[in-house]
Amino acid sequence: MNNIDKKIAVLKKEKKLGLMTHAVVGYPNMGKSIEIIKILAQYSDFLELQIPFSDPVADGETIMEASEAALKNGMNTDKAFEIIRNLNLRVLPFGSPMSTHKGTPAMGLPASRHPLVRLRTDKLTPVLVMCYYNQVFRYGMDRFCKKARESGVSGLIVPDIPPEEEKKERFIEACLRYDLYPIRVISPASGEERLRINAKYAKGFVYSVSHFGVTGTKSELDKDLQIYLRRVKKYFNIPIALGFGISSPDQIQKIKGMVDIAIVGSAIINTYNRDGLKGVDTLVKSLKNCTIQKENI
Amino acid sequence: MIFDYKTKYDADTSGHFGQFGGRFAPEMLIPALEELEKAYIKAKKDTDFEREFLSLCRNYAGRPTPLTYANNLTKQLGGAKIYLKNEGLNLSGAHKITHCLGQAILARRMGKKRIIAETGAGQHGVAAATVAAKFGFECVVYMGEVDVARQRPNVFWMEQLGAEIIPVKFGSKTLKDAVNAALKDWITNVRNTHYLLGSTVGPHPFPSINRDFQQIVGLEVKEQVKEMEGKLPDYLIACVGGGSNAMGLFYRFLEDEEVILIGVEAGGKGVERIGKHAARFRGGEVGVVEGYKSLFLQDNYGNIEKTHSVSAGLDYPGVGPQLAYLGQVGRVQFEYATDREVIGAYKLLAKTEGIICALESAYAVAYAIKLAPKLSKEKIIVVNLSGRGDKDIFIVAEAVKDKNWREFLKTKLT
Repeated sequence: MNNIDKKIAVLKKEKKLGLMTHAVVGYPNMGKSIEIIKILAQYSDFLELQIPFSDPVADGETIMEASEAALKNGMNTDKAFEIIRNLNLRVLPFGSPMSTHKGTPAMGLPASRHPLVRLRTDKLTPVLVMCYYNQVFRYGMDRFCKKARESGVSGLIVPDIPPEEEKKERFIEACLRYDLYPIRVISPASGEERLRINAKYAKGFVYSVSHFGVTGTKSELDKDLQIYLRRVKKYFNIPIALGFGISSPDQIQKIKGMVDIAIVGSAIINTYNRDGLKGVDTLVKSLKNCTIQKENI
Repeated sequence: MIFDYKTKYDADTSGHFGQFGGRFAPEMLIPALEELEKAYIKAKKDTDFEREFLSLCRNYAGRPTPLTYANNLTKQLGGAKIYLKNEGLNLSGAHKITHCLGQAILARRMGKKRIIAETGAGQHGVAAATVAAKFGFECVVYMGEVDVARQRPNVFWMEQLGAEIIPVKFGSKTLKDAVNAALKDWITNVRNTHYLLGSTVGPHPFPSINRDFQQIVGLEVKEQVKEMEGKLPDYLIACVGGGSNAMGLFYRFLEDEEVILIGVEAGGKGVERIGKHAARFRGGEVGVVEGYKSLFLQDNYGNIEKTHSVSAGLDYPGVGPQLAYLGQVGRVQFEYATDREVIGAYKLLAKTEGIICALESAYAVAYAIKLAPKLSKEKIIVVNLSGRGDKDIFIVAEAVKDKNWREFLKTKLT
């Protein structure tokens, strides 16, 4: 069973809204990035880790700038997988205290020997890799998927590979060969026919873009959203994850009961840029608290 | 009907030219691309659409553009006869107006009120702003900050035409980043906006649509050469950025296999070092970027590399998918010219033929200068002058180190 399904089963049982948080691997640098991921892992049900790309067409300013900075610092697909692999392999036993290592990250060390890579995952946190199709294609489809699997990744979010290209590219096929869920991304622009086609290939959950826009642009979460989500539910019998422009506990409160998973991305980077690691901790903790509160408080 | 013309080198129904092309767009844009494709297929069969397009080309943009025998240049080089297809005489100064008119009619038919465009050299931006003014669309043009600085005259003209220019400050701040910025705008405003993509690149159906509009260039050349020489030309030469002027010139000749087709890429400061040129057929690898599969200058992880060319219009890391395919099957041959050769070609053309061409077009001229002397006098070369050179006044003045111009600029500052 794929970890994504396992996690969904847990959330269903507990009747909780899931939280997927996002980070650009390597932003602002390797060491700090690992610290950010560590904080996210503490509070999140799913981790969406984006491998930076030079031309991220679906991303707004925040993630674009973070990607540029990460690339400038030398982040690449191999290093990103190395970091991700260590997140999963170097877990401390259940119940042991969080690594309390303080001080400057040991830059220059291979990620596997990085003291800050130690994560306490006393809970199951599936990791999904977000990237653009050229990164998969250029790395080699099979090689990429194999590497992702070996690194402990459970799903891939690749927004620019529509189902229509599957006949030639065989991307979804490669994902499934390694038990990676190819997460479909849909948007309010998707009509009934588009939803039907995407639903055919969907696994795990469906990533629903909340509004017309790129990542990090504010979502109104208005009446149109409800109509759109109703349309999505008609075609998808798997959980709905809602992302793009979701940044605050208020918004999480608003979408409770409407979707199964809330996705927060740009807001975390913006918070880090403004308030550092502490700010990220505060934000994600408050988001998490909001998701586990009973509805209508 | 001109739009029912087909060749064996065309895309399949899903927009693939062999392994290249396709529609690798995020879901947010797929519905808009489907809408555009539907509107285009319908328009192609509509005689009113064709009539309106051809009428605007003739009575508004100034087609047909002349094919000029370059007698002085031919004599000086002492080889093949050189003809120049002078697309610079189009309204707005380049071939770009042709696909802009076609797409503007489509946008109106789809009920769109706003158009957006990317531009490198500014030629497509000016053409887009021109049709926006004519059709009454709101118009936003994205242009890399680097290009805004080096093509300032076109920025001014776009603004005069009523367009809003948004300088793109991310990435390499050139043409590919302008495409990215325009795609992001389109994702956000897809309901009322048509993306007037300016070359034979991007997701299906853009490469085919722009080629179909631009085929009028080759169609005219075929008739004009026939009238002047009574036979087909032996060589066609065009510069290649994304490929719109090259596909325009080549398309109607693709199945005349005896005609040799040559695309000239930007060799910049030399094709040996990545980052110093934009020669995709020298250093490019297959990739999927900006919605299509083609050859891209990229690193081992698929990140796009920096490019360089003295001309903003060719400073682009990818190439139109049909050209990638034509290169792969050997139908089009790809050469390159360096910045230095281009400035030389530009100067020679101005002095011998009285034509100041765009720096982009000078790449085609530069290769013709190399090729012509090697050929016999019976051979015929047609060079596509995709645009005129007014916009390049600052770059060229600097490249030729014109002291008087520098002094003039100083007086303007006070």
